[in-house]
Amino acid sequence: MISSDVIRGYNDTIILYLLLEKESYGYEISKRIKELSDDKYVIKETTLYSAFNRLLKKGYIESFHREQTFGKKRTYYRITESGLLYYQDKCREWELTKEVINQFIREDYL
Amino acid sequence: MDTIINYVDNMFASLPKSTEMKQLRDELLANMEEKYHELKQAGKTDNEAIGVVISEFGNIDEIIEEFDISQEGDVAKQPLLTEQEVEDYLQVSKKSGQWIGIGAVLCIFGSAMFVLLLGLFENGYMNGLTVETGMYIGVILLLLCVATAVGLFIYAGMQLDKYKYISVKGNFDLPIDLKSKIKTMNDAYQPTFTIIMIVGVVLIILSPAVLLSMIAFNENMANFGVFIMLALVAVAVYLFVYFGNMYGAYDKLLKGGAKRTKEKDEDRVIGAVASIIWPLAVIVFLISGFIYGLWYINWIVFPITGLLFAMFSGAYSILVNKEE
Repeated sequence: MISSDVIRGYNDTIILYLLLEKESYGYEISKRIKELSDDKYVIKETTLYSAFNRLLKKGYIESFHREQTFGKKRTYYRITESGLLYYQDKCREWELTKEVINQFIREDYL
Repeated sequence: MDTIINYVDNMFASLPKSTEMKQLRDELLANMEEKYHELKQAGKTDNEAIGVVISEFGNIDEIIEEFDISQEGDVAKQPLLTEQEVEDYLQVSKKSGQWIGIGAVLCIFGSAMFVLLLGLFENGYMNGLTVETGMYIGVILLLLCVATAVGLFIYAGMQLDKYKYISVKGNFDLPIDLKSKIKTMNDAYQPTFTIIMIVGVVLIILSPAVLLSMIAFNENMANFGVFIMLALVAVAVYLFVYFGNMYGAYDKLLKGGAKRTKEKDEDRVIGAVASIIWPLAVIVFLISGFIYGLWYINWIVFPITGLLFAMFSGAYSILVNKEE
């Protein structure tokens, strides 16, 4: 299990990656995160929705309503143009971060 | 699932009641519900599923920070009432309803005793004592009753004073689980309340009829008729005040400050009018008797007051109920 502190700066990236796959809603996204991380990261509800709010405000995603099979209305999200650019930035940033941090990680302790 | 709903509602209790927050709550709850059902389908027990869902809820402070909710902003946080406070408030309301009810009954009872004594003396049941003596005893009794009643009113008022923030200002919030508990209690109470109100109104309307039929039967019985009529009125007034007070207490808890509009004070209004009008009738009775010497006819004051009072309380409850 990864602590949420470590991953904090990359929740947005994770969400944008999933929205790039397809438009989706809250629970589906949190479920996908759990699956793709092999149960090593479970995003909290409040973290997820704080991220949605942040991304919406910055215009990286947009929301819309869609009826579900059982007639329930869910809020869906899709990524925007600027969201895609931001995601690409974050990918490069991670590459750099990884390189830098790796310099300080001793292989023999892994 | 109720546990989860309660949990989320409690988390959101301190946040503003905006549409944004309501939507967020619904959305979170929908996710949690879906997760809960999936976990159960995967073979988890109810408790396990609830445990996982709640542990994955997170921290409400994240929402507060991200959604820029200032806690001391325009939506001032209202103090949450505890279960103990609510219980105490209901208890005090019940007690003060009793005191106020007894006070109102005493005012009427004093008037009734006065008329009864007068009747007893007039008909010579009190051997050796003049009507005048009876009159003095009656007046003293009436004054004692009214004085005690005033004392009770003040005492009950002081007891209720502590809960002004609930009953008058209404600046409080209820935790959701407590609110639903009160609602259940209130709903359970509703049928009793309705029956009591009907009984009360019927008693008041019937009371002059008792007096009038007794007079028709034997005019000398007028005083005793007045006594019975007032006894019926007293019972009705007690029911109104006591049950009305309880009803009001639930109502205030459930509706809180902001949404409360016109209160259902009808029962207490009827009680207040009763505790003024009947001693007043006695005063008119005394003055017309002593000063104008109208003893042979002035008992008519009581049936007239009775009819007026019956008309008033009947019409009043209909009018108030219509406004809702």
